[in-house]
Parts: sequence; structure tokens; C-alpha cells
Amino acid sequence: MSKLSFRARALDAAKPLPIYRNRDLPDLNDCVSINRAVPQMPTGMEKEEESEHHLQRAISAQQVFREKKESMVIPVPEAESNITYYDRLYKGEFRIPKQLIHIQPFNLDNEQPDYDMDSEDETLLNRLNRKMEIKPLQFEMMMDRLEKASANQLVTLQEAKLLLNEDDYLLKSVYDYWVRKRKNCRGPSLTPQIKQESRDGSTNNDPYVAFRRRTEKMQTRKNRKNDEASYEKMLKLRREFSTAVTILEMIKRREKSKRELLHLTLEVVEKRYQMGDFGGEILNQVTIPRPEKCVYSSPISLPNGNRHKMESKTKRPHHISIKEESHFDFVRPKKKYQKKAKLEVFRQQSHTVHRSAINKSDIKQYDFHSSGEEDYPQVQSPASEPDEENDPDGMFGFRRKAGCQYYAPRVDQSDSLLWDYPELAGLRELRHRHCLTALSVPRRCVGLARRRVGRGGRVIMDRASSEHDRILKRLDPEAFASDPGNAGSDCPDSPVWTSASRSLPGKASSLGEILSNIKACRWRCFQPRPSQAKDGGDGSAWKKLGPTANGRPAEMVASLNTPKNTTSGGITEEQYQTHQQQLAQMQKQQLAQLQQKRPSQHASLPDRHNAQVPGTPDCVSKTLDSASAQFAASAVISAPGLGSSEANKDSRTHSANVNGIVQTSGTSKSLHSTSSTAPPPPAPVQLLRTTSGGGSNHLPVLCTGAPQSLPGAAHLNNASVVSPVNLHLSARASAPSPSALKLATVAATALERPPKVTPASAIGSMARENHEPERLALNGISETTVAMEVT
Amino acid sequence: MADNGDIIEGCRLPVLRKNQENEDEWPLAEILSVKEITGTKLYYVHYIDFNKRLDEWVTPDRLDVKKLQFPKKEAKTPSKNGLPGSRPSSPERDPVRKTLDLSLQTATAPSRGKTIPTTKRKAESLTLATPSPAGAVSSLPVSTETSQASVYPSMREGNAFSQKCKPRDDHEQLTSLTTNGTARRLMPSQPGRKRKANCGGTDEDSQDSSDGIPSAPRMTGSLVSDRSHDDIVTRMKNIECIELGRHRLKPWYFSPYPQELTALPILYLCEFCLKYLKSLKCLQRHLTKCNLRHPPGNEIYRKGTISFFEIDGRKNKTYSQNLCLLAKCFLDHKTLYYDTDPFLFYVMTEYDSKGFHIVGYFSKEKESTEDYNVACILTLPPYQRRGYGKLLIEFSYELSKVEGKTGTPEKPLSDLGLLSYRSYWSQTILEILMDLKPDNGERPQITINEISEITSVKKEDVISTLQYLNLINYYKGQYILTLSEDIVDGHDRAMLKRHLRIDPKCLHFTPKDWSKRGKW
Repeated sequence: MSKLSFRARALDAAKPLPIYRNRDLPDLNDCVSINRAVPQMPTGMEKEEESEHHLQRAISAQQVFREKKESMVIPVPEAESNITYYDRLYKGEFRIPKQLIHIQPFNLDNEQPDYDMDSEDETLLNRLNRKMEIKPLQFEMMMDRLEKASANQLVTLQEAKLLLNEDDYLLKSVYDYWVRKRKNCRGPSLTPQIKQESRDGSTNNDPYVAFRRRTEKMQTRKNRKNDEASYEKMLKLRREFSTAVTILEMIKRREKSKRELLHLTLEVVEKRYQMGDFGGEILNQVTIPRPEKCVYSSPISLPNGNRHKMESKTKRPHHISIKEESHFDFVRPKKKYQKKAKLEVFRQQSHTVHRSAINKSDIKQYDFHSSGEEDYPQVQSPASEPDEENDPDGMFGFRRKAGCQYYAPRVDQSDSLLWDYPELAGLRELRHRHCLTALSVPRRCVGLARRRVGRGGRVIMDRASSEHDRILKRLDPEAFASDPGNAGSDCPDSPVWTSASRSLPGKASSLGEILSNIKACRWRCFQPRPSQAKDGGDGSAWKKLGPTANGRPAEMVASLNTPKNTTSGGITEEQYQTHQQQLAQMQKQQLAQLQQKRPSQHASLPDRHNAQVPGTPDCVSKTLDSASAQFAASAVISAPGLGSSEANKDSRTHSANVNGIVQTSGTSKSLHSTSSTAPPPPAPVQLLRTTSGGGSNHLPVLCTGAPQSLPGAAHLNNASVVSPVNLHLSARASAPSPSALKLATVAATALERPPKVTPASAIGSMARENHEPERLALNGISETTVAMEVT
Repeated sequence: MADNGDIIEGCRLPVLRKNQENEDEWPLAEILSVKEITGTKLYYVHYIDFNKRLDEWVTPDRLDVKKLQFPKKEAKTPSKNGLPGSRPSSPERDPVRKTLDLSLQTATAPSRGKTIPTTKRKAESLTLATPSPAGAVSSLPVSTETSQASVYPSMREGNAFSQKCKPRDDHEQLTSLTTNGTARRLMPSQPGRKRKANCGGTDEDSQDSSDGIPSAPRMTGSLVSDRSHDDIVTRMKNIECIELGRHRLKPWYFSPYPQELTALPILYLCEFCLKYLKSLKCLQRHLTKCNLRHPPGNEIYRKGTISFFEIDGRKNKTYSQNLCLLAKCFLDHKTLYYDTDPFLFYVMTEYDSKGFHIVGYFSKEKESTEDYNVACILTLPPYQRRGYGKLLIEFSYELSKVEGKTGTPEKPLSDLGLLSYRSYWSQTILEILMDLKPDNGERPQITINEISEITSVKKEDVISTLQYLNLINYYKGQYILTLSEDIVDGHDRAMLKRHLRIDPKCLHFTPKDWSKRGKW
């Protein structure tokens, strides 16, 4: 027994057990007693049953014989396997499929009746069949329906009729039969069913009730943790989903309002068009009482670029440029816009801009990186923060002038130029900041540039280098040379573009006119830019472009006076000096022009043009539409003329100017407000500076930064009117504003090659303005739009 | 003694029966029920110490009336519920029980003899009875009558029904049954009783008693007996014969087929969908509509003519229920109390030109909290003792191997279950042990855990098998496994006979993680 204490050690399942054959252990018997130390495991049977005779007998037999003895097996009730009719019962054969059988659980539910006919039914059926034919299946269907329809109560004959939809006689017979049978039936149903539990629990102990539902939860002990975690996750998920829903709702609402706005704007435009309110006078009148509205739209509309474009419309080259713009436009929705609404008003544009801004902000807000980020930079002007744009009250917030009408910039279009340009694909990064810029004086494209307004209203062009500089540079000069009007715009663009521009109606004539105009006006704003409106192709497109063009003039203006650019160091001292002179001249000029223009308000264009650009007004106007620069310049000039430098404030004069311009462009149908300054292009490569020589066109274009960019004042008769100039002059604060504008100055050279100049300027102004609708610019425009003409 | 009223339920007497060698023997039996058909009384007898499946209706001439023992009178009072276990009580034990019963439980239903082999069990049942409200009602002396009355209707129904079915049944039968019913009526209403109390499942018992829910059995597992199981109704076979395909089966135990079908001499089952039909005509008609030629599940194993089909108890309720009803005829401890949703059914079939004929099946909980890899397992009687049972077991362990778990059959095991499992475990383990070769001249050794991992047999079962085979010995300070000659020889002989094997390569089975599928 003492040994036992040794053996108390438990059997360790993890411990290796050596395996011996009994013969290897002769002394094993000594250890037999030890076996009892190993705890007996339960058999897993009920104790009572374990002691049953036959089992014990079988177990002991096994122990003894180590195999089953026939006589020692546990007896069970007999089973027979000699059903003779089996083959008749189960007819047919079933071939074993090669593949393992897979079954769709729900395929099993066929429409077969659960009721199976018995011999009693068969008798009835035979009887019935004497009168009519009824098949067993049909009978079973009937019985089945009757059975299933009557849970507690038998269905009535009426119900049965509805249920079965059979011949009356048949129905009656079967129904009667069924009722009889049902009454004689022992069970609750003719189709024997497993007894169901009753809800009151009275069947809890009924042995014939089976397959009760499990009402209590299955043990979840194992998964309790998971349950909690997943529950929390679900909660979180739900919250996030609801947030998403809210956001989407808001977006939906926003988009709806946008659409509404668009429609309204469209309506306004159409109405105005019908009324002939090209100058915006009527609109103005209507709008004045509700300045807030204007405020809303104007901040965005003011960017110089737009104006510029608008003006460009009037002139042919500009027109081309515009076309280009649209072509390059990469912002899809906006494009559509243009196409749909040919006669969009600036306002609309402003809306678009505004919208885009909103989008950006939204995007930011909701962190939609994927979709948002790309658009964001494009739409936005580099200089200004998105918030700024959205917030009119920002530091450079735009302040409306009472009585002034503001038009929206074509931000989108200008932007897109480069982007759409296949060759310039690589410029992506630079694109938002820089615009393709061309100089008219040294005929060349300077590549990417960004305009800024420096001290004293100097326009500074920051040049940016890019891989494509070569191409760009090559492009421009040719364009200039070949087609004066298109020069600026054509160069950078693809052949398509050029062709489109060329195809424009009245182009040729317009060119000439432009030339003459330029000469006459003695102004020239040269700012050939590659990016132009795409719309150029169609007359209608032109018209559309009009709005875009609007921005430009301002730009031009701005660019005229801006001194050298710090970054690029583009502006020379000379330029600066000239700039001052220009200012003075401009003012004078403007005054003069104003006077000139006034007389002919509606027809002002011609007058104006005459004043500024000698040429047939009409033609000019048409051409001018596209040619933003010149037009803008003229407009600007006129504006300043009205209010002197600050004259623009006067709505009337302003409007008059506008009208005049518009009229000219009237063909194009787009109204351009001179007042609006185009936003400066983000990356001004060169600073173009135009000085407006008093009455004569002597606005030298100053290209700072650009080596060649010399104020080719000599031959540039840039009358490019730069409202910004005034602005800059008057308010330098604004200068820093994005409005690095390129000024297309039409110099005296204009005479010599006026077409070139104009287009170039137009082109130049186009795109970037759009990008940067800046309040400052706007302000500047409104206040200081001065058309500068360079002799 | 007289044939009539003297012999009542609870009486014990030797009853003639033929043993396997077709010899007459007179084992002691207990009268469980009496009925009279066409003037002849029939007695439902349970042979003491024999399994319930051998219970049968006998004619009076098989009774050795001379040795009739009447149920002790005292026994009536205290018995809580009629029949405690699967076997009737033996008179000798009554005194013990009686005293206990009396002390703990003053009055319940009149009890007929009740076997309580262990005092422990009795105590358990008593404690179980007391806490339960339902139990309280029935256990109150005063309430005896009422409870009887309440239970009575169901019995009555049964009687009435049997009357209807068998018009020949005369009044007497009814009366006798009624008496019967009275005697045992209370049994079902005793919620605290646990029938399958202790088959190594003491845990189960205590668990149940502790949760104190009297009305419904717990919902896991397939073998947990419901309390109603113990009443006289479920103690008696209710289906006389089942025709299934080519076979006629004599059910062993009660099965809750619709009550109106229990009176039939033969219950017809469709061999493939297992639908129960009352007549051959109905079966014929059914077969015109039933296109199944195999169990309605996915075949996950096929080798030779043997196939296994997997049926989801939730997706294919009808078949699962029909299968359970059939299985219940041969599984005493199976419960059909709850639905089949949490189970998978693996049906083994044998193919011939008529289709895939069911041979046997086992069910398995989708999620078992107790490492059960089999809930119920059954080889249909016509196929028994031909190696199919072992094949089923082997298959169940193959599934566990795929799942990477060890498993054990749900308890309690039946006698046949125990024998089959022991045999399987023995052969499986011996196979491994005999295959172990000396390693570098060292004596081969193996841990129990390793055996368990290799075979997927749960560790406890490995140990119990080793013990049963008497392989574990303590020798010179450590446990060793010894293989005796007769063990080795016996094993070799057994393996020669075992030609049916599962081929793991033919198994196409992907275990599902049911815990991630919501509710089963």
C-alpha cells in the first residue's frame, strides 16, 4: 500500500508514455496493483443502463475474447429487408452522377401537394371519373388546398369555391367528401402533422409535441466579447452612415440651388437679350435696389481676366483667343455651361466661379480627397486662398460701389488652357500658378508666367520654367508673325485651335479693323497669351466668350502699369518710370476717350473704337469680341475716362462704356463690363507694362523678367487699358493682389502690326484671370478701370 | 393467478422470451401497460436489466403468473414520477427508495415501482423536484388529484384515439389504460425529474438542477432528455412497424410521429425524403410526386457506393425532422424537444440503381460548447453489425480532423454506442501504437495528447480507452503502455474484418464558422 502513495501521481497527458510489449516486461505483474491508481474514466453511459445484462455480457465477452462473439451481441428487435414490392414501388433507376451531388436547398420546394391520396380517395375518384375526368394530382391539389386553408375551422363551401375554382359539381363532390372525411379523421388534419407547441406552454410536457422553437438565446458565452465589439462597431457604422446621408442631403440641396441659380441667370440673360439690355443698364436698374445680390455675384465676377476676355470678344484676335480658352478648358461642367447657355451673362459666370469655390470648400470640408484635390488647385487662384474667395469680406474683400455693375469672370476657361493642351500636360503643377504668356513686343511666347501687381500698380510677371518652355517659345513667335490677330493665341495652341480661330467669320476684316482701331486709338495692350477661349469657332461661341473676356481688360489694365516683378525681376526701372508717366497719360487719355465715347453710348462702340481704335465699329466690335485685350483696354480706358481714374464709380458712365463695348460686341451678344478686372494669372512670367500715353497710344509693354521682354513701347502702341493700373496707382494695397495682370499694350506698333498685338493681349489675359478672381482686382476694376492707350 | 385485474401495471413476474440462441428464458419483467384486443389481454412488459428496446407486448400465456410480485403499496405514495430511469425499479430496492422518498417528499403521485440504483440519483431527482414550481404543484399531497386530472386529458386523448383507431378495443382497455394513466399520470408533470440523470453526466444533472427551470430542457445538445420523456407514454414504443424502402423496421423506442399514425400496423416512410405516410397507397401516390433519390443535401463524401450527405437542420427542416423522427425510434435518449436548427445531419447512404439509400446518420451541433463532434448517431437496424457504425464514427472524426479539433460524442451513450465507440477508439489507438517504430533504438513513446491530436479523439476518451484496454501500467516510477499478446492479436483480427474505411481523400468538406453566421 505504501507504493500507492508513490503512484498518486496523476497521469500526465503531455508526458510521453513508452510502449512496451508484455513479453518485454516479465516483472510487469508486480506492478499490476498500480493500475488501480489510475482514475477510472466514466463510460459516458447512464449508470442504470450500464448495468444492463446484455451490455455487460457483451463487454465481458469482448474482454475475454477480444472480439465480438455472435452470441454475445446485444439483442435488438428484428428488422426485415424483404419487401417484395419494392421495385414496383420505387420505379425507375437512378444513375449516379459523376460529380458529387449538390443541391439548392430551396429547389426542394416544389408545388406538389402535400396531400397523398389514399385508397378511400381512390374510390371516390373512380366514381367521379365516371362523370368527368379528374386526375389524382388534381384531386390531391384540391384536398391539399382545403386542408391548408382550414386550420382550426373547416372552410365553408363558399370559401372552397373561391379557393378551388373548379367545376361546380366536382367542387361540391370533393368538398362534401372532404368534410366527411375530415370529420371522421382522427387527427387534426388529413395530412398527418407533427404536433406543434402551443403558446401557452400547455404542451411543454406533451410527448407528441416535437421540434419546439428555441425561444431563448443560444449560449453566447463564447462570443460575448465579439458581440460587444461588433455591436459598438455597428453603432459607429450607423453613425457614420447617417453622417454620410446628411452630407449627401446637403450636397443635393446645394446642387439644386446651383441649378436654380443657373436657370435664373439664364433667364435673366435671355430676358436681357430680348430687351436689348446689352449694356446691363436695365439690369443695373433692377439690381440696384438689392445690392446684396450683386455683392454676392460680383466678387467673383470681378477678376480682371474676365473682363479682359469680354473685351477680347469685340476684337477678332481675341475672339480667337477665346476660342482657344474654351478648347483648353479642363473643367468639364463649366464647359457644358458655356455650350448650353450661349448667352451667359457675367453674372452667371460669377456664379460658376462662386460655385466652384463652394465646391472646393465643400470638398475640403468633407475631405473628399480623391475628387476634390485635383480640381481644387485648378479652380483656385494661386494667390488667393480658397477661403478668401469664398469670403468676400476678406482682407482684400471686394467692396461694391454703389451703382456699379459687376460681371463674373470666366475663371474656368482661362484656367483650363494649359491643361487641355496636350503638349503641356507636363505643366500640370505649374498650371494653376502660371499661365502661358506671350509678349507682343519681342514676339515670343515667354512660357509660363504669373502676373502680380507690384508697388505702384506695376504688373510683375513671374516666369516659371518648365519642360515645355521650348515648345512654348517656339509657338508664340510664329503665331505672332503669321497672324497678327491671332498671334498670341495661336502659337501655343494646337492646330485645331488655330484653324478654328481662322475659320471665324469676319476674321479677316476684323483684323484689319483692329489694326486700324488700334492705330486710331493709339492704344495697345499687348499680352499675347496662349490660352484663349475655345469658343472662338462659332459666332455663338464668341458671344459666350464675351463674358470670359470681361475679366481680361482689367488684367490688361493692371498689367500695364505694374512695375517690375520682384520674383522674376522682370520689371525694369525704366518700366517703372514709364509706368508713372503712363499713369498720367492714361488718365488724360481716359478722359479724352470718355468724352469721345459719351456721345455715342449705344453706338458708343464705334465711337469708342474710333476713338481708340480706328476702324469700322461693327466689324471691330465683332472682332473685338474675341480679341479681349484690345477691347478690354479700350473699355478700361473708357471707364477711367468717365470717372477719371476713379471715375468708374459712376455707374452710368460705366454702363455707358459697357454698353458701348457691348454693342460692338453686340454681335457677339455678350456684355462685358469694363469695370471688372480680370484676376491676375497666378504665375506671371513677365510683367507687361503698358503705359498709356495720353491720347496717343504709347503704352509700352514692359516685360520684366523676360530677357527679351522689353517694353517694346516703341512699337507697341498699347492702349491696353488697365484698370488695375489705376487701382494700383490709387490703391497699392490692392497691388499685391493676384492681379498680376498682363497688359496687352497696343503700342504705336499697333499701327504696324496691330492685329498681332491685339490678339496677343487678348490671349494673354484670358486664362489666368479666370483663375484668380480677386476681390482686389475686382475692386480695382470697379474703381479704377482705366483704359490706357498708348499712342 | 388470474389473468384479469390482478396483473396490473407495476407487477413483476417472469416472462417467457427467446434469447439469441432461440432458447427459452424467463427473465423477470415488469408490467408497464395492459390492453385488451378482441378479448385478449396484452401486457406491455419491460424485462428487468434488459434494455428497453426489448420491451414488448406479450400475451398472457407468456407470463409466469405464479411468481407475480405486486408493486409495494408504499411505493405508490412516494414515487415522484413513475419511472425514473430507463429501467423499472426493482422491488428489492423499493424500501430504500421509499424511505428516502418519504422523508423528502411526502406525497406525489402513486408510484409504481421505480428503480433508483443509487441513492445519489434519487436525492438528485428529489432536489430537482422541489425547487420547480410545476414540481411543487404535483408534489404536493393535496394536489395529487388535481395534477392527475390535469395530466389526465392527454392520456385520455391517447386512449380515445386508440379507441378510435382500433374500434375493436373495448371498454376494458380504456379502463385499464385509465387506471394506468392514473397511476402514472403524474410522472410527466414532475418537472424536476431527470431521466438521463447520470450517465457519466452527473454534471449535466447538477447543472440542470441548479438552473431551476422546470418547464423546458436546456437547448443545447440532442440527447438532453426532456422531462416528459419519462412518462409512461414515452416509455412505450408507439410505432409498431416502419416500412422504409426494402426494410421493415421494428422501432425500439417511442417516437413522436403524429399520434394518429401510431395506431397503424405499419407506418410507411418514403425512403428518400423520409416522409411518413399512413398507407401504401399514400406512399405510392407520394412517390409519383417525390423526385428525390438521395438525401436532400450536398454530397461531401463518396467512395465506392458509400456517400455522405450534409443537411443543414435549418435549411432543410422537413427532412431533418423526418430523419429525427425516424432516428428517435432507435435512440432512447434522443430528444426532439427543440427544432433542428442548430444541427447538421450527415447521412450515410449506400448507392444502388434505385438511388442513395440511407444506411445511417449522425447529427452534429453547428457549434458545440462541449467539444461534441457527434450529437446522435445511428445505423439503421438493417445495416447494423456490418461495420457501418464504425464508418460513421470514423467519418465524424475525419470531420473533426478537418476542423482541427478534437471531439467526443454527446453523452449519454447508449449501450450500443458505447460498444461501438470503444471499439473504434481501441482500434484507432492500437493502430497508432502498433505502428510506432523504435526510434534510434529507443523504445517508442507517445503522449496522450499526441494520440488525441492524431486521431481527433478527445483526451478523456483516449485515456478511458487505454484504461479499458488495460494498457496503462505503472512501472518503475512511470506510466507506461503495455501491449499484451491478446490485445495485439485481437486487434489484428479485428482489423482484418474491418474493410469499410473512410478515405480522407474522398472527403470534400469545408468547415463553416457558424459563430459568424448569426443564429446557427
